[in-house]
Amino acid sequence: MAKNLFKIIWQTVLLWLVFRLGVFLVGALHLSLPGNVAGMLLMFALLSSGLVKPACIEAASGFLLKHFAFFFIPISVGLMSFGSLMRQSGVALLAILLLSAMAGAAVTGVTVQLLQRRREP
Amino acid sequence: MNQLLFALFVLVTLGAYLATRWLFLTYRNPLLNPVFLSTVALIALLQATGLTLEDYRPAKDFMTFLLGPATVALALPLYHNRQVLKRHALPVLSGVAAGSLTTMAAALAAGRLLQLDRGVLLSLGPKSVTVPIAVEISRLTGGEASLTAAFVVATGMIGSIAGPALLSLCRVQSPVARGLALGTVSHGQGTAVALLENETAGAMGGVAMAIAAVFTALVAPYYLPLFLR
Repeated sequence: MAKNLFKIIWQTVLLWLVFRLGVFLVGALHLSLPGNVAGMLLMFALLSSGLVKPACIEAASGFLLKHFAFFFIPISVGLMSFGSLMRQSGVALLAILLLSAMAGAAVTGVTVQLLQRRREP
Repeated sequence: MNQLLFALFVLVTLGAYLATRWLFLTYRNPLLNPVFLSTVALIALLQATGLTLEDYRPAKDFMTFLLGPATVALALPLYHNRQVLKRHALPVLSGVAAGSLTTMAAALAAGRLLQLDRGVLLSLGPKSVTVPIAVEISRLTGGEASLTAAFVVATGMIGSIAGPALLSLCRVQSPVARGLALGTVSHGQGTAVALLENETAGAMGGVAMAIAAVFTALVAPYYLPLFLR
């Protein structure tokens, strides 16, 4: 238990370092890309090249991704300051979210299925 | 007093998360989304006690500190699925790109038709992408982080409730196509539903979620302004 906790902590430090490196690179290179995306791509490159073994981040990644949703709660509470927008346009916003999600899902699904059929007749 | 409030907020948020997560895992109903229920409960609590968002902020900053490392951790499932990604490179890349561009265009066009503010439109832009990345894209393009977070969570719920039925209606039966579609529009929540259908769909959902996030982050700063002119 204590050993596992220790493992999660130092692996999280490693993830955090790659995250900071991503943020730093984006700033230094003036990219219009979120730093966390750069960090994720960097980690993918590190894994693919074998410089970082999956086992080196497995414990912390498993833990953080399992409770990924937790982090969204404090952010969503900020919605409190948009009470009037929700009262005024809440229904319109829901309709937009539904329509656009369905359009996107249909386009992806149909595109992929067509491409697959063409490849394997 | 402030330290007490800080500790209480962290404990209450953690408690709300654990309780709603238990509820969701017990009943497996997408309407019992833990983020949605916890957020509603916390906002109700803040309003009932007369506290403001400013009082909550220190606790929020503390709790979201690990979101950066958690986003970096998304590289691991993508790495585990690299063979799937390689084998289906063409359908994955074109399907995810087409779906991401469509969902952004549909949201902004409809929002403009309904005369929403520019800030709200920009907050709608990255709503199909997983929260930490959507929030950063929103900041980059001029949207509101918390508004985007709420749109993302709502989109996740909508997609996981209505997505599978819509795909069946469009005669999309291939597990690869279904997984990609659900992951592209409804990120983690869509992936979870795809995983319930079968393992292939689940793996594709995870791949789609990661690719859609990277793709949207790359194109949004140039693509979204096209709809605001």
